[in-house]
Amino acid sequence: MKNDDLKKILNSLPIPEPAKEAKDKAIGAALAEFHRQSEKKKKNVKGSSWMERLMGKNRKGGPIMTRPIAIATAGIAAGCIALAITLSPVFVSEKSRFVKPRAVQVADRPELDETPRSPSAVGNIESELKDSAKEIKKEKVGSRPAPLLHPNDEFILEEAVVHTPPPAMRREVKVNGRGMPTMALSAAKFPMEPGVRPPVDQTYVGRDKFDTVNANTVKLVSEAPVSTFSIDVDTASYAFVRRSLNNGHLPPKNAVRVEELINYFDYDYPLPEDRSVPFKPTVTVFPTPWNPDTKLLHIGIKGFDITPAQKPKSNLVFLIDVSGSMQSQDKLPLLKNSFRMLVNSLEADDTVAIVVYAGAAGTVLEPTKVSEKGKILAALDRLRAGGSTAGGEGINMAYSLAESGMDPDGINRVILATDGDFNVGIHDPEVLEDFVSRKRKSGVYLSVLGFGQGNYNDALMQKLAQNGNGNAAYIDSLNEARKVLVDEASGTMFNIANDVKIQIEFNPAMVAEYRLIGYETRMLNREDFKNDAVDAGDIGSGHTVTAIYEITPTSSNAKLIDDLRYGDREKATPVKRSKTAEYAYLKVRYKLPGESSSREIETPIDKRNEYAKISAAPAESRFASAVAAFGQILRGDSYVREFDYDDVVGLARGAKGDDPFGYRGEFINLIRLAETSAAMGDR
Amino acid sequence: MIDYTDMELVDMSNSGNEHAFENLVERHYLTVYSLSYKWCRIREDAEEITQEVFIKLTRKLNSFTSKSSFRTWLYRITINTAKDYHRKNATRRTYESAFADDQSHNNPGNLPLDSIAARQVYAAMDKLPDKQKAALMLVAAEGMNHREAADVLGCSETTISWRIHQARKKIKKTCNGWQDYEKR
Repeated sequence: MKNDDLKKILNSLPIPEPAKEAKDKAIGAALAEFHRQSEKKKKNVKGSSWMERLMGKNRKGGPIMTRPIAIATAGIAAGCIALAITLSPVFVSEKSRFVKPRAVQVADRPELDETPRSPSAVGNIESELKDSAKEIKKEKVGSRPAPLLHPNDEFILEEAVVHTPPPAMRREVKVNGRGMPTMALSAAKFPMEPGVRPPVDQTYVGRDKFDTVNANTVKLVSEAPVSTFSIDVDTASYAFVRRSLNNGHLPPKNAVRVEELINYFDYDYPLPEDRSVPFKPTVTVFPTPWNPDTKLLHIGIKGFDITPAQKPKSNLVFLIDVSGSMQSQDKLPLLKNSFRMLVNSLEADDTVAIVVYAGAAGTVLEPTKVSEKGKILAALDRLRAGGSTAGGEGINMAYSLAESGMDPDGINRVILATDGDFNVGIHDPEVLEDFVSRKRKSGVYLSVLGFGQGNYNDALMQKLAQNGNGNAAYIDSLNEARKVLVDEASGTMFNIANDVKIQIEFNPAMVAEYRLIGYETRMLNREDFKNDAVDAGDIGSGHTVTAIYEITPTSSNAKLIDDLRYGDREKATPVKRSKTAEYAYLKVRYKLPGESSSREIETPIDKRNEYAKISAAPAESRFASAVAAFGQILRGDSYVREFDYDDVVGLARGAKGDDPFGYRGEFINLIRLAETSAAMGDR
Repeated sequence: MIDYTDMELVDMSNSGNEHAFENLVERHYLTVYSLSYKWCRIREDAEEITQEVFIKLTRKLNSFTSKSSFRTWLYRITINTAKDYHRKNATRRTYESAFADDQSHNNPGNLPLDSIAARQVYAAMDKLPDKQKAALMLVAAEGMNHREAADVLGCSETTISWRIHQARKKIKKTCNGWQDYEKR
């Protein structure tokens, strides 16, 4: 026999197509193993963090060794400079061994853009990346990049879990029209064969667009004694800042909205004794940490909280579709953000479990108390759309988890999130409806959240939700998610005051200048205050809102604005004697839910609100001022002068308080990260 | 679209890039499956072997060095996994029953002649020692040259040549059907 004959015969064997389910199962199993291995790797992390290694610091902060940093300018074109920074050799203290010299891309983040990109731009980036990928491959010569390590802190898990670098990343420093450098990373679009899902990543890449925000300027009380603005309970900016700092770079200036940073935290302001008013402003005046000659006027508002006794315990199971079709930005990424928001609105005592269905069907998170929020958020973060929807026991699993943690007096709910693929383990829609309504009688309700377009099965969703005693909602944006998940579905949050506006009139006898920190995008005209047609922010139950003014007393010689040469101070209306001791007069306007005309709360701000020393001021005020300082330093605002990150850490540490959810501790860590990034000259 | 090399995908996977990893698995699924199927000729078993291969691969991905090509490495894992699987399940199943996989089994007359011959030869290969079967599989069925097969199986080229020689001799002896086919 001849070789060729044997080959021909062997090759004539018909090979049946592998079953699609088997393939999905295999890929799912491999991915599960992949996660297990990644977890293991993470646990084995010892020694210095990735960032510290880059910085040449060991845990104690001293330099390990001095190493050359070569900065190569990759190209300069039309005000666009691409920098590739390589550091070598890199010493890794991990397990006391040297790693071969290798190229480390400082900006080697693979994140994808969250904003749509024009096809031509995609093409350009891809070809550029392909080139750089080749280049990097050459550089590597057989050595492989060490896994990207983060400090083991829990907060890191929340946002920065396994953000993985394809080698092909370039950092571009763009110089915009004003000559201000803003940073942009070109995103590595992952290579895809036809039919392969585009990858999703949550991480900041610097292509995000922000409106230019200039910090509020110093106002002269004699010229503009009244300051009016709408409250803002958004906190997006904080999450964004956190994300970029965790990724090792400073956020772009315009991404930092100081008031959102401040309002990210929950402050323990006193509640009104009388329930007829939904909230009570708490005002403190104390010396400015960053300027001995000025004072901070701190206004804190806490919305009426339903007392814990009234708030039923929530036992939630998220049943999440992670099939390939959930890949696009308006699906899984939005879903994750939505659930993150929901988790953030829950109480420490509530429990959350996560079940996914798709290739990797199964329980991602056993019922976990919200006090371990980091764990929940990390599990959410790890979700990836992959594989086709392989069904599995998704819905059964979700219900049995919900039943296992059943609280007869609480909210027991499965929240199904999908783009319309109801392949949850029960295929017949009618059987599914039956199942859901049977379970409803057992006390577990079902809410259905729809995401995305193209595959959306509205009718079935509605039917299921009705059968499950729940609601069906379509989530197209984070705002909608907030409305549905935080304000409505959780049943624990509802607005207690709408269109809340703040107006402050300063007393020219006491205050020469003032400056509102943050709220740049929320400024209102003086006449808008009483105009009920003008929209403003809402306060939900338990929400806190904080506003901080930096004021310069008339007695201070640190006034930034000189007196007018030709001005006539004598002409100013003299302040009535009884009011001379007041710094300002605060008015808060709000509408009760369902009402169309506004009510007003008024209070004078005087010496009674004042603390002579920073250390004497309430911890909540001090912490807020630390956050304000941090935001301003990040923005590069000039008012904070020599106050630096270390000062902020000191201030925040002293005001950390109980910190039940670890947010304040996380904040302190973020300051450290910012310090590191700033030291690297990175923005 | 960019086509990353296997090595690039491995590197990315090792630094935690799940998408790169998934891409790597998808890319090679069919290769692994085909070889596994040729080894056992039962679709379900081949699927199981393939799954096992990728789990093993995931565990070992960290230790993969670019000394050998990724493909070589993958073939090695597949052959080893298939051998183990065969051994484990030898008591349960015999691969002679492989026809059961084919729906036209009840009516062999409908099978194309070369397909019948192929099954006969593969059945004959099942009776070979694993090492010989593997060598013949890689060279004759997968179209590798002796050098590549030697890399996969971790032996010298001459060993491969010898194993193939032995294998062919035995098949010739065992497989009358095949000889008949050859005469035609």
